[in-house]
Amino acid sequence: MSALAEILFGGLFQGSLYAMMAVGLALVWTTIGVFNFSHGVFMMLGAYIAWQLVELGLPAAVAFPVAVVVMAGVGWILQASVVRPLIGRPNIVLVVVITTLAAGSLIENGALTIWGPRSKQIPALIDGNTTIGGVGVSLHQIAIIVITPLILAALWVFLNRTRLGLALRAVAQNEDASHLVGLNVTALYGLAFAIAASLAGLAGIFMGGYRFMSPVMGSDPLLKALIVVVFGGISSISGPIFAAYLIGFFEAACSYYFGLYWTPALLFGVLILTLMVRPEGIFSSRSRGLA
Amino acid sequence: MSPVLTVEGVTAGYGRVTVLHDISLEAGRFGNVGLFGPNGHGKTTLLRAISGLLKPRGGSIRFDGQDIAGLSARAIVGTGLIHVPQGNRLFPDLSIADCMALGAYSARARPHEAENREKVIKLFPKLAQRWRQRVRTLSGGERQMVSIGTALMSHPRLLILDEPTLGLAPKIKDELCASVLEISRGGVPLIVVEQDIEFLLELTQQLYLVNHGAVATEIKPGESLDHGEIMSMYFGH
Repeated sequence: MSALAEILFGGLFQGSLYAMMAVGLALVWTTIGVFNFSHGVFMMLGAYIAWQLVELGLPAAVAFPVAVVVMAGVGWILQASVVRPLIGRPNIVLVVVITTLAAGSLIENGALTIWGPRSKQIPALIDGNTTIGGVGVSLHQIAIIVITPLILAALWVFLNRTRLGLALRAVAQNEDASHLVGLNVTALYGLAFAIAASLAGLAGIFMGGYRFMSPVMGSDPLLKALIVVVFGGISSISGPIFAAYLIGFFEAACSYYFGLYWTPALLFGVLILTLMVRPEGIFSSRSRGLA
Repeated sequence: MSPVLTVEGVTAGYGRVTVLHDISLEAGRFGNVGLFGPNGHGKTTLLRAISGLLKPRGGSIRFDGQDIAGLSARAIVGTGLIHVPQGNRLFPDLSIADCMALGAYSARARPHEAENREKVIKLFPKLAQRWRQRVRTLSGGERQMVSIGTALMSHPRLLILDEPTLGLAPKIKDELCASVLEISRGGVPLIVVEQDIEFLLELTQQLYLVNHGAVATEIKPGESLDHGEIMSMYFGH
């Protein structure tokens, strides 16, 4: 019983963080058709900005939302500086891998210079611990498990039930046709990046509440998010969300039965198998589009 | 009548390739305008330059007295010049309802959304039956109706159609022709690019033959032309 509870809980928790990260990657890929390798840095920066605001004396309830909004601005600026000027180039996918990696590295080292290498921690969403099914868990983790699906559902409603969300889905499918109905395509690209950066920043705040933060804290979640989007497919945002939870459960089960040491190898094994059997991802079609 | 659209000495192309060489034409003086000519000679490029998808390198494009050359596609949609691109690919994973909402996205079109939706449904009743269906699942003719319907939702003052009958069966072509004629009768002037000359003769009053990125021949209303003449224009003498 406690084994099942542990795997279930661990899977839900890790899956939530991966989903928050992967959805942003997928959103940027579907709308702009590029991979954002500074996505992990967004996560780190969100956490550090929140930490700084709390340090300045703001209560967490104010500091966290402000950090998320600041991250939206950071995402917008990054898009305008290292992605937008390259749109229309024939080899844009590769070039943007390099420019976003470069920008990420710059921000990472900037964070190291400003905040130093000493590990930091931000306040938990809710303090305290409890026991569920014989497993001790923190209320912070439970809060994340509950909040994440709500945020993802809100994103779904935004994309599927609002005019602006419709415009984002349209840009994802046909850029020329979007211009011809009068959509502001550059602004929508900025918006996709802003939403992705906010979600990553929030994931960073979640992570900084139970684990020590460092300037490189985003690289492992970025790697996992990449595995998730490859596994689940990137042609939609629901694919990566399901895949994130699946990977979360898989990881939790692996580390319970085989130990943490073997988990990455098994994870990549599953990834390679997926690529061989269904290269477009298990929940995905071959076309781009947000649905 | 003064022309609605005047293209003067426009040069445009992609990268190092120049497709349009100093092309000039007028639309709206004698009614609807048809463009025809061999593939790959700049008809679609001209339309892309007019609607702002491609920045012209030189020349002027005036729509209703305003110079629109070099404006963004969005700004041009805002003037009421609406371009239906070739190939009815549009938004494959959106529903017809979504496409219509997008058509009415611009600030100019939004106040007329309900009224234009009525018009589109009256013109293409078939679309109403498939309102929630994805565009991908529709037939070629229906997809073309969605493309034209979306353009009507943008409240056009000038409608540009790029090969609307491409790949359609003859019966569907005739139906489409009747619908487009009705749009024109409703007071929207047209510019139509077509390979099907019969379709053009039915719809338009003035024809331009576009060859090597320039106007090779202009056929004004009243000037007769027969099939043989057109064939010789296409293939040379």
